[in-house]
Amino acid sequence: MGEVHIGLPGPWAENCREKADHYTTKIGGLPDWPIPEPNIKRELLYCRVCDGRLCLVAQVYAPILSTKLNIEERAIYIFGCPNQDCGKNPDSWRAIRLQKGDQDSEPNLALSNTLPSEKESFPMDGASNWLKDTLLMNDSGKLNDGSVGDKKLDDLARAFSEASALSSCSKKQNRKKRNNSSTRARVGRTTAEETPVPVLPCFYIYFQTNQAHGSIDAVSSFYSSLTLKEDVYPATDTDEEEKWVGETYEYDKALGADTTYLKFKKQMDTYPEQCLRYSYGGIPLLATSNSIEPDKCIHCGSPLVYELQLFSPILYFLQQAANASVACSADGWSWITLIVYTCSRVCTSYLNS
Amino acid sequence: MAERGAGDRGGFGRGFGRGRGDRGDRGRGGRGRGRRGGGRRDEEEKWVPVTKLGRLVKEGKITSLEQIYLHSLPVKEHQIVDTLLGGRLKDEVMKIMPVQKQTRAGQRTRFKAFVVVGDSDGHVGLGVKCAKEVATAIRGAIILAKLSVVPVRRGYWGNKIGKPHTVPCKVTGKCGSVTVRLVPAPRGAGIVAARVPKKVLQFAGIEDVYTSSRGSTKTLGNFVKATFDCLMKTYGFLTPDLWLETRFSKSPFQEYTDLLAKPTKAILIENSETIEA
Repeated sequence: MGEVHIGLPGPWAENCREKADHYTTKIGGLPDWPIPEPNIKRELLYCRVCDGRLCLVAQVYAPILSTKLNIEERAIYIFGCPNQDCGKNPDSWRAIRLQKGDQDSEPNLALSNTLPSEKESFPMDGASNWLKDTLLMNDSGKLNDGSVGDKKLDDLARAFSEASALSSCSKKQNRKKRNNSSTRARVGRTTAEETPVPVLPCFYIYFQTNQAHGSIDAVSSFYSSLTLKEDVYPATDTDEEEKWVGETYEYDKALGADTTYLKFKKQMDTYPEQCLRYSYGGIPLLATSNSIEPDKCIHCGSPLVYELQLFSPILYFLQQAANASVACSADGWSWITLIVYTCSRVCTSYLNS
Repeated sequence: MAERGAGDRGGFGRGFGRGRGDRGDRGRGGRGRGRRGGGRRDEEEKWVPVTKLGRLVKEGKITSLEQIYLHSLPVKEHQIVDTLLGGRLKDEVMKIMPVQKQTRAGQRTRFKAFVVVGDSDGHVGLGVKCAKEVATAIRGAIILAKLSVVPVRRGYWGNKIGKPHTVPCKVTGKCGSVTVRLVPAPRGAGIVAARVPKKVLQFAGIEDVYTSSRGSTKTLGNFVKATFDCLMKTYGFLTPDLWLETRFSKSPFQEYTDLLAKPTKAILIENSETIEA
């Protein structure tokens, strides 16, 4: 629970449309759904504001492996709208959580014969045991980049998650569904070719556990402009009148940055390239002090728990690699961090047949 | 795509090219007037900007600090100032003093460092940092000082011959009980001030000025901050030569979002044309 995993950028994908599996954690590219794409509701993949197709920002493999709850098949997909105007609108962001339901705990599936193989094998062709929850992210306080007259850079993007209900079916319906899904999949594929999905440049993420806090001070020694070669102490004051008196501890403050932001920056400087921070049930790293508490899960009403957050080096890397003819670009976005909360009860809902 | 695949497997940060090589040498903390450090280290090249302003500066779209000051954009990364002011920026530690806090287990001592940075040509910054170790405090104070770099307006005492050399008008700054008043002086007067604020004024690039202070100037921390506050106010003072109406220009963010929005449309059109052809 308390452990923090830092996601650092790894190698670039050779082709930004290349397929991986749902166990990969990556930024950009095409989403690797464990179920066929037509099974996913259309409105989840389209922007609420401009109704354009959303592009995948991040795909994170996020199993929950605690003593109480053991869900190995779980992934979170975060989508954003590449449209220039939508980037500032919190409604255009979306996070989807997909997980494989634990059949013993699902009352609906008690009627059907559960195949143990279905749990182990992960068929990509419409296993309807996959329960899908959509987390709709609402970002409040998104970064204003000056175009609306607000010249402040200091913003925080927050994501709230909600799970939407989709019901899964019994085994008989499974068979029917599989047939249906396969035909739908064929149709789906042709339509996908006609309208190309916007895709961001893709790179993979590898994780590192956050090291001890004691090393944070050592990080600032990286900056050679700040290292000292000569004797540290300044010349002693020879004048008697210049005794500096009356000083007490003072919190860090700069003209454009307050204490919270400076602490945030200090954490960022431990790993300057960090793109992702995963800590199920941990504490988010905030960049501003005006934090908004997330609402409860809209489906089960249980409180939301912090799971992961994205950082702006993602935007930097995506913008560096943006090639306008191939992929859409992340230029319209200018957030510092994007926080994703998920349902603490890990509630699930069923696919509508 | 080819250029992306070429060198990106290993060093992630390097694959994007280090075209912005105008870092130059930087001043270092320590004793004495101003030092110039030699040689870069690889870690410094790894500046991954967090803010949008940082990204624009790294790409080279913003070439001077004045563009940032004009739109009052907060500077949140000290590397921005490093990139824009480069080697001209010198720094100096003014004082390191221990501050103590009484705890049950005795006294806990921390060190407070006062650092002033400046290029002696109209930009100055002051940083104050408390930390358990001296070296950490100095490094932290240098970073805070760079984040607080402000422009200083200079003017003339009398005839407008040559470069501006003194403050444009009488300005006063206050911190705690200390008030510092800067008064324009003729050329050759030099900085007529106590030793500590004199340093700040030298880093700001003011050549001649008369000062007058009031309050408990023994609290030199407040004295230095009052001088800095005074220098911040020089550009806030409306003088008759500023009476002309301002022509507002686009903020860098707006300017560059528009710039970035255009080429994508153009290239898409070209692609469709080639397909049809």
